[in-house]
Amino acid sequence: MIEIKDLSKTFPARGKDAPVEAIHDLNLTIRDGEFLTVLGPSGCGKTTLLRIIAGLEPWDHGSISIDDKDLRGPGPDRAMVFQSFALLPWATILQNVAFGLDVRGVSKKRREERARELIDMVGLKGFENRLPGQLSGGMQQRVGLARALAVDPEILLMDEPFGALDEQTRRLLQEELLVIWEQSRKTVLFITHSMEEAVLLGDRIVLMSPRPGRIVDIVDVPLVRPRASAVDSIEGSAEFASITSDLWQRLREMQTFRRHHHQDEPAA
Amino acid sequence: MSSVASSPGVTRGGGLTGRPRSFSRRVADSPWLYRLASVAVVGTLWQLSAMAADSIFIPTFTATAGAVVELIARSDVWEAFWLSNEALLFGFVSSVALGIPLGFAVARLRGIEPLIDPYLTILLVVPMAAIIPLLIMSLGIGMAARVVIIFLFTFPIIVVNARAGVRQVDQNLIEMATSYGATERAIWRRVLLPGSLPPIMAGIRLGLGRAVTGMVIVELLLTPVGIGGLIHESRARFQSAELYGVVVLVVVEALILISIARALERRIAPWARGTALSD
Repeated sequence: MIEIKDLSKTFPARGKDAPVEAIHDLNLTIRDGEFLTVLGPSGCGKTTLLRIIAGLEPWDHGSISIDDKDLRGPGPDRAMVFQSFALLPWATILQNVAFGLDVRGVSKKRREERARELIDMVGLKGFENRLPGQLSGGMQQRVGLARALAVDPEILLMDEPFGALDEQTRRLLQEELLVIWEQSRKTVLFITHSMEEAVLLGDRIVLMSPRPGRIVDIVDVPLVRPRASAVDSIEGSAEFASITSDLWQRLREMQTFRRHHHQDEPAA
Repeated sequence: MSSVASSPGVTRGGGLTGRPRSFSRRVADSPWLYRLASVAVVGTLWQLSAMAADSIFIPTFTATAGAVVELIARSDVWEAFWLSNEALLFGFVSSVALGIPLGFAVARLRGIEPLIDPYLTILLVVPMAAIIPLLIMSLGIGMAARVVIIFLFTFPIIVVNARAGVRQVDQNLIEMATSYGATERAIWRRVLLPGSLPPIMAGIRLGLGRAVTGMVIVELLLTPVGIGGLIHESRARFQSAELYGVVVLVVVEALILISIARALERRIAPWARGTALSD
């Protein structure tokens, strides 16, 4: 369980730009085994929040604890999947998937064994000795996912992982992610700017708004689990449509509010 | 960056049908045909204009070719090349051994850059030919002077490319490594070093070119030993074919060295395409 209390982070002023309050007084509890999606427009702080939880970014106020232990930098209990895939271009797929284990000092034999398991799980058997440059975007992200799962983290942190992919690949990977997740039920924190994706994948949706970054609402997604085998019928259902359009209303209101609000603000 | 996995059936230039190329097609596609053709064209133009000029100072293509053959047979030519290349070896190797770590340090440690950068710029930009007489006054005219001067020619470009190499490593990769628990040392070993290899290799290739230039210039301006000595001699005796011949041999040496460097580049960093600062 991840407990975040009164979290605040401000990026200091740079040159002529004013300081940016990325996150303001954020409170959130992430339950074990839940698939939590974070949705919001650019600049709402969702990526910053993820990075802080990953241990990549310090924060200014507030506390974060995982299973009652204070967060201190990156750790073996969390693994991240990146929007840009972040694969080492000079290393083979096998080496890339084994990367997290390698850094932790796992023996070559064991880590390669584990890597092969995961490469198979994400459907890339046979590609172990290729280089990332020889793979398509969707395949590269599967490698990224395999790498994250290889270290068997309790928490999976996913930063708009399908954002750089075309729509068909995205949909396939969403389904595949559900299949994989439903087998292991890890805690997942999934950042997205797509409402459909947030509803399809998540148990709860955290809606964030920018300037300053804060949680506006947390929406439950009452769609049944497991969903992997029923993706098409879910997406066609009335329930899905109503939750999605409700979210879109909220997001739209955020934009309108900002537009009106800015008329009263002095020029930044 | 996304590219579909290559399938074994398609060969380069096979077109839509995927058939292997015919022999004549392969000859037409190969770069060697064009290289030979361009040498033939240049050679012919040279020959014709030299014959038209009819001057003692401009040897014909055939005369030069003949001179090259003669030079290769002479043992004093090989001695001269060896003497010059000794300095090249020391100067170049020390540039690489010192330049790469310095480039890394400048890239990764904030404070150093403003201290080092002005000197690098000066060394890259200043016309060496003007500086060399100055250096001779303090270093004398022996091997040490030649090594130092070659070093000064080569060192800055190695540093600059090593620095650029580290800098151009994708920040996401460094973050990824950090997120998986890599220490600074592990980041160097697993991300920064392999990631900066392509620009470093390119810097080595460029440095080699500059080192050879330095080697010859030093001898021309400084002391007539080695290759510079041969050039002096040929000039003094008005043997223009011989002079051109020596220059051709130097160019051939440089081309051989640079081809070796390119081949090494491709072997060591097969995943990269052209990441040098100046190509």
